[in-house]
This record gives sequence, structure tokens and C-alpha cells, in this order.
Amino acid sequence: MSVGHVAREIEASGTPTVVIMVRAFRHVAEAMAVPRAVITRHPMGRPLGAPGDAERQRAVIEDALALLERARSGRTFAERETPYRPGRFRTKESDVTLPTRPERDPSR
Amino acid sequence: MGESFAEFRESFFYGSRTDLCFKFLKDVPDDEAARFFQELLWLLGEAYDTGDVQPLIDAAYEAQLRAYEARQDSPWTYDDAPFAPLHKSLADARVLLMTSSGHFVRGDDPHPFGVPDMTQEEAIARIGDFLRSAPALSVIPRHTPAADIRVRHGGYDVRSTVRDLNVTFPRDRLVEAEAGGRIGHLADELLSFPGATSQGRLLDVLPEWIARIHDARIDAVVLVPV
Repeated sequence: MSVGHVAREIEASGTPTVVIMVRAFRHVAEAMAVPRAVITRHPMGRPLGAPGDAERQRAVIEDALALLERARSGRTFAERETPYRPGRFRTKESDVTLPTRPERDPSR
Repeated sequence: MGESFAEFRESFFYGSRTDLCFKFLKDVPDDEAARFFQELLWLLGEAYDTGDVQPLIDAAYEAQLRAYEARQDSPWTYDDAPFAPLHKSLADARVLLMTSSGHFVRGDDPHPFGVPDMTQEEAIARIGDFLRSAPALSVIPRHTPAADIRVRHGGYDVRSTVRDLNVTFPRDRLVEAEAGGRIGHLADELLSFPGATSQGRLLDVLPEWIARIHDARIDAVVLVPV
């Protein structure tokens, strides 16, 4: 996990860090002794919450800031309990270009 | 010759059915993967009637988590745990956002491997090249309009962050934290790089990145891996 190395090196240089990441990476973050991490029970690729779910994103950020203040040693983890909640939150699809779905030719 | 179930599973991992949400199926045993598909279809039948997709979302999350936890081996293990305390109140602190999400500003494309305007699809196809190379650090001025911030990363499903960059690059949430006085300042220049990269090369460039952070007089860093 690249951010594990980034967090460790920044921290070793004297600047505090907090990582926001999904639960699937927790064992890697623990093995790497990441200084502080807020863990979300979200799918990979959605660490802060669903698109448009500003309320969840705000709560996650607040947990990260609180952990910066609260942690007293390295490898301090705070796992949020709330499950991911999907997009009831309208975003403007007209403004964005999404990646295309791969070809599904079974002969490949 | 028909496709085997194992081949089908593996095709989601950088294969003919590449799907970065479900690439974990490659490492799931056949019987467990079969149960997963069966459960999804059953829950879909439930959703026909209830309109509630939350159980589908939860089942997919649990399967992904089980797959990653089954691979308990971490390629990097450290005994020492570096720690630097926060020396001032957050309300006075200058906070940097730095992510491995692969965001960059339109017009400032890092052109991986010299390719102009590389697409997400090409980045996925070249994941092996990325994993052997040094990461490119992108500077994103904090006031950049969201429409001018692009993302490309061959390791995760970028659809969510294309729809709302705050999913992996929570710039707007930190701007709010600054406006509300929770943090003193959000840094003028935010940072992102594609985290699918060579760890050795990353460690080589990190001192340069950290010097930049010190020059910007950053007091704390919010990091987001994907």
C-alpha cells in the first residue's frame, strides 16, 4: 500500500498524518504500522462514502481530524461502524465521462 | 471448448471482463464464488419486490472483505511505528490533502510512459507498467474547479470519484472544515498520485515530496489510499 509508506515517511520526518481507508486494507495498514487510520466499512474505491453523500463524507473527515488530535502513539486505528449507503444522492451525470465497460467476448 | 468457472472468475481481474470492484474474484475458491453469485441473484430477487438494494450492497462488501482478509500476508511489515504528535490546535493548523487516487488538473497531465491523454482503459491495460515505475506527483491548486480535475488509476474503479471527486479526494469537505474553523487552513496546493506504483521507486522519490511538504509549512496531512 503506497500510502502506508507515504504516511510512515512523513510521520518520521516530524509531521503528523491520518489515513482514511476502507476496511479491506486494514490488515495491510496494521502490518505496515500506519501511524493513524480511520477505517470505513465501504467498498474499495469509496473510502469517504457514496458520490454526493456529503453528510457521510463530512462525518468521516471529522473522525480523521479527531484522530489527529486524540492519538498518542503510532498504529492507532479507529473503525467506523456504519455500512456504506448507496447513491440516493443525485449527481449530474451529464457533466462527467465515465469509463467504458470492457468487452465481454468469451473467446478472449 | 467452453470457459471454465475458474476462467470466468479470473476474467474479472485484468481480463476480458475487467471489473475493478470485483477483481477479488480471481482469488476466491470456486465453491465460495458460486455461493456469492447465488446470494447476489437471490438478493436481486428480493430487491425486485422491496426496492431495497442495501442487502445487495452489503453482500458484495462482505465478499470483497472476506477475499482481502483471506490474504493475510502483507508484502510489507514493519515493527517500528513512527509517530509525530500534533503540536498545535487544529484550528490553527495548516492541513494538506494528499491522495493516491490518481487525480490531476486538466492541462497538467503527467503523461505516463509519454502517452498523451491516456484513458482510464489504457491505464488498466498497462497496470503492470505502472507497478514497475516511479509515481508522478500531481499538484492540484485548491481552488481548481471540479470540472477541471481529472482522474486516472489502473487499480480501482474510478466511477464514484468521477461522479464526485470527494469520494477519494475530499477537497470540498476540507474546505468546509476550514470555513467552519475546525482547521486553520487547507493548503494552497493539494497533492495526488496514482498509488499503483513501484514501492521501491516511491521510497526513492519520497524525500523530495516530503521536502515540498516542509517548504509549505504543513502541520498535518490527511492521506487517502484507494
